[in-house]
Amino acid sequence: MSTLRASARWVRADLRARRGQALLTVLAVAGIVTALITAATLLEDGTNPWRGLFTESRGAHVWIHTRDAPQVAALARLRGVARVAGPYRAAPVMLTRDGRRTPVTLRGMEARPPDVAVPLVRAGRWLRQGDGDGVVIERSFAEALGLRVGSSFTVTALNGALHPLTVVGLADTADQGFYPETTPGLAWTLTSTLVRIEPAPGRSEMVTGLRLTDGEDTLPVVHSAVTLLGGQIQRMSTWREVRASMELDNRLLGLLLALFGGVGMVAAALAIANAAGGRVLGQVRDLATLKSLGYTRGQIFCLLMAEHGALGMIGIAAGVVCGQLASSFALRGVPILPLSPVPLMAITAGTAVVVLVAVALPAWRGGRTAPIPAAPAAPLRGHLSHLARLALLVRLPAALVLGTRDAFTRRVPAFLSIFGVALPMMMIVVGLGCWATLDDFLRHPERVGQAAALTVRSDRLPAEDVARVSRADPGVAAVYPGSEVSALEPEQTRSVLVRAIGTSTDPYPFSVAEGRMFAARGEAVAGQGLLDLMGVRIGDRVRMTVGGTPLIVHIVGRVIEPEQDGEVLSLGLDSLAAKDAVPPQFHSLVLKDGADPATVRARLLAASGEALEVRRVVNPADRLSVIRGIIVALIAVLSLLGLANLLTASALGLRDHALDLAVLKALGLTPRQVTLILVTGTGLPAALGVLGGALAGAPLAAGLIELQGRTSGIGAGIGRAPSALTLTLAVLAAIGAALLVALIPARNAARARVPVTAR
Amino acid sequence: MSEPPVVRTVNLVKIYQNGGVPVPAVRGVDLVVEPGQFVAITGPSGSGKSTLVHMLGGLDPRTSGEIWLDGKRADTMSESAWALLRRRKIGFVFQFFNLVANMTVADNVELPALLAGASARDARERREHLLGALGLTGRADASPAQLAGGEQQRVALARALSNKPSLLLADEPTGNLDSRNTRDVLRLLGEVHRDGQTIVLVTHDARVASMADRVVTLLDGEIVDDGALGTARRRPRGTAGDVVELRG
Repeated sequence: MSTLRASARWVRADLRARRGQALLTVLAVAGIVTALITAATLLEDGTNPWRGLFTESRGAHVWIHTRDAPQVAALARLRGVARVAGPYRAAPVMLTRDGRRTPVTLRGMEARPPDVAVPLVRAGRWLRQGDGDGVVIERSFAEALGLRVGSSFTVTALNGALHPLTVVGLADTADQGFYPETTPGLAWTLTSTLVRIEPAPGRSEMVTGLRLTDGEDTLPVVHSAVTLLGGQIQRMSTWREVRASMELDNRLLGLLLALFGGVGMVAAALAIANAAGGRVLGQVRDLATLKSLGYTRGQIFCLLMAEHGALGMIGIAAGVVCGQLASSFALRGVPILPLSPVPLMAITAGTAVVVLVAVALPAWRGGRTAPIPAAPAAPLRGHLSHLARLALLVRLPAALVLGTRDAFTRRVPAFLSIFGVALPMMMIVVGLGCWATLDDFLRHPERVGQAAALTVRSDRLPAEDVARVSRADPGVAAVYPGSEVSALEPEQTRSVLVRAIGTSTDPYPFSVAEGRMFAARGEAVAGQGLLDLMGVRIGDRVRMTVGGTPLIVHIVGRVIEPEQDGEVLSLGLDSLAAKDAVPPQFHSLVLKDGADPATVRARLLAASGEALEVRRVVNPADRLSVIRGIIVALIAVLSLLGLANLLTASALGLRDHALDLAVLKALGLTPRQVTLILVTGTGLPAALGVLGGALAGAPLAAGLIELQGRTSGIGAGIGRAPSALTLTLAVLAAIGAALLVALIPARNAARARVPVTAR
Repeated sequence: MSEPPVVRTVNLVKIYQNGGVPVPAVRGVDLVVEPGQFVAITGPSGSGKSTLVHMLGGLDPRTSGEIWLDGKRADTMSESAWALLRRRKIGFVFQFFNLVANMTVADNVELPALLAGASARDARERREHLLGALGLTGRADASPAQLAGGEQQRVALARALSNKPSLLLADEPTGNLDSRNTRDVLRLLGEVHRDGQTIVLVTHDARVASMADRVVTLLDGEIVDDGALGTARRRPRGTAGDVVELRG
C-alpha cells in the first residue's frame, strides 16, 4: 500500500515532467484504436446496413409466406420464437408510372405500427386511419423509381383494375433486401385499401414474421415451423438471405483497413517501445536511486509497466470513444449501432496486449538497473561508422561528420529510429497510392472498363430510334448497342453474365489489360473473375450455352472488369445468336471529353419526351469514397507515430550528448555547429527512414492494389503509385518536419549553459 | 545481553571482473560498527571505500565473506530482500545527491518514509520536521534543480533519515560541495550522530574524517589502520541555538 503511494507520486512527477511525450503516446494509441474501431464499424454497418436496420426495426428473423393465415398462437409457442409479426395480407400488383410497369408487393398493415418488424419511416409519415389511397414505399424501391412523398401512381391488380395511390411516406425495412437486388419492390397500404385493390383472397398470400430470441437458432425454428405448418408454406426467407443481399463488395475496404490497422499497430508498438525505452534510458540514475531507497527489481518493473502501460490504456479508452464518434460521423444517414462486442473486445484487448508487450522490454531493462546511482549509463562506444568515414572522405564540414557519427553510435536505437519513421512513411505512401488509384478511377473511367458514362434503354421506342436520339446529342461521342444475357458455364452449375456490346468490327472501348481486344466473330474478352471461375487462360476456347444455344468463344484478352466481381464475358453483338442480339437491349453512350453526364441525361430525356430510361454508370470509386476519409485519418495517425519516434530519438540524442556539448564547445565549436551536430544526429536517421519508407511504399502501394484487384475479380492493371510530384512533396514535407522537430530542442541545448557534472 | 553490532563483516571480499581479468576491490575486510558509532572510512582513490559501503547497503553483491546487520546475516539475501532491508534500516547519502529530478523536495524526502510503510500523514509530518531541522522549510515545493549544491545535499540527508534508519551510509557526502556547505553538512551529520544515529561515512578528506569517533583507513582493499579518535578531539556539544532534535 505504502509502495503504491510512493510509486504513484513518482509516476505523477514523471508524467508531469514529460507531458508532451505522454500526450503523444496517448494520441498515437488513441488514433490507432480509433482507426481500427472505425474500420470495423464501417465494415459491419457501412457495407452492411442490414444489422442497423434489423436492430432498429426490431426485425423478424424468419418470414413465412402462406396461402391462408397460419396458426399464430402455435407459431408463437415454438421454442426460440420471441414475437410474431403479422400475419399480413400481401398481394402482387403492377405499378405503372411514366409508361413503365414495375411489379410490386403491396402489404396490408394497420395505422398503428407493429411492435416487431417495424417499417422505419425516413420521409413523410406512416399510414393513418382513412388513408384510403395512401401508400408507404420501401426507400430503395422509391429511389429507383424516382418516387417521392406526394408522388402519385396507379397500380394494376391481377384482375386488371386500376387504382390510383399517393405516396405518404418512405420507409426502410429489414424484411427484404434492397431494390433492385431484391424484386419485387415492397409497399405498405392499409389492409382496407389492400382489400379494395385485390378483393380475391386466392390471389394474395399471408406473410408472417418470427422474431427469435437468438438469431443463431434460425434453423431449428424453421424446421419446427415447417413441421407445424407443413404444406401451407409457400415460401420462407431468413435474415441470412436478407443480410447477404444487402452486402456490398467490401473486400477492398476490408483489406485496406486491415492492412493500415495492422501496420499502424506495429508502428504504434514501435513508437511506444521507443518512447518507453528512451525514457528508461534517460532515467537510469533516478531508477538506481529508487533501488537504493529500497525498490526491488520487480517493483521497478511494475512501476514502469504501470506508468507507460497506463498511457496506452488511456489511449485505448480515448480511442474507443473517438472510434464511436468517428464512425457515427462517417456514417451520417445510416442508422448507427455501436460495434458488436466481439470485434470491440478483440481490438481493445489486442491493443492492450501490444502496448504491454512493447512496454515490457524497457520496463524489464529498467528493473535490472544496478542500484548504485553513481554508476554512469553504459558508455558510448565511439567507433566511426562507414557513413561517417565516407563523410570525412568527401570533406564534409566537421559538424556534419560528427553528427553523422552520432547518428549511428548506438546501432539499435539508430535502427529503431530509422525503422520507426520508415514504417509510417511507407504506409502513408500506400495511402497516397490508394488515393491516386481512386483519382484515376474517377478521372479515367475508361481505364477501368467504364468508357460509357450513360446507358440508355427504352421499352417504348424501337432500338433504332434510341440510337438515333442518342447520336443526335452534341455531348455523345459514340453509341454502342448492347445486350446482356446469362450463360451457363460448361459444368452447368452456375451462370455468368455475357455482355455483348459493340460489334467485332466496332468494339466497345474496353480497357484491355492483357492479350488483345476481340476483333472477329467468336472472339471474346473476359474479366479476371471469369478466368478464375472457369479456370481458363487467354487463348483458351470456352463453350457455354445461352438459352439452349451453344456459344463457343475464343478468349483473346483480359479486361478490367469492375462489375459482378469480374465474372463477365464480353464480346461483340455479332457473336451472339440473332435471337439474343436483335434488337439490342440497351445502348451505351461514350461522352465527349468534358461533357457532363447529368446534362446529357437531361437533354436525352427531354429529346425523347421521357420515353428513354437513361442511367448513369456508377463508378467504383464513388462506392469507395469512404476510403478517402479513412486515408486522411490514417495519414494523420501515422504522422503522429512518426513524430513520436522522432521526439524519442531527439531526446535520446540530446541526453547522450549533454556531456559532449561542453567538450565540443570547449574545443571551439560555435553554438550553430553544435546545433548542426545534434540536428544531423537526429535528422539523418529520420531522413533515411523517410526515403526508405517512400521507396518501399511506392511499389508496395501499386502491388497491394494489384493484388486486391486480382483477388476481387476486377483484375490487375488498376494500381497506381502516387505521382512523382506527390511522392516528392510527401518526402520533403516529412523530412522538413523531422528536421524541424530535431532543430528546436537542439537549438535550445546548444544555447544552454552546459553544466559539467556526472550523469 | 548487550546489543549486537549494527554492522559486522567477516573477511569481506569483492572482486570485479574486468574483461575476464579479476580486479580485487575489497580484500578481506573485518569491520564491526557498534550502535551509535560514527565511523569514517578513508583512504586514497581506488582503495575500495565506496565498494565497501555499497556492499554494506546491498547495492553491490559481495564476492565472498559475511555481512551481518543488527545481528542478522545479510550477505546471503536476495536482491529483493536487500531492497526491503534498505527500506527499513538503511539510509544512503551519495556524492552527487541523486535527488529524483522530477519530484519536488517534499516528495523526495517523503518517498523513503512511504516505502518504509508510514502513512501519508506520518510521512508528511516527518518530512516537515526534517526539512525544518535542516533549514529547508521554504523549499519543500521546489524542484531539486532549483536548489544549490549544499541545499541539495541537505535534502538528500533529510531523505536518508526519513525512514528512521538504524544505519546511515554516506558516500563522499561532501565531495561535491564547497567548504561552507561542507561545514554545514558535517554539522548536521554531527548532530544526528549525537542523537544516537549510527553513521558510516566514506571520505578521502582528513578534515571530514576527523569528525568521526573512529577512522578506518583502507589501502588497496585492506584495512591498514583502525583507530578510535579521542573524545576530547570531538567538537564540544553544539553551540546553543543550533541544536536540532532530529530523532523524534
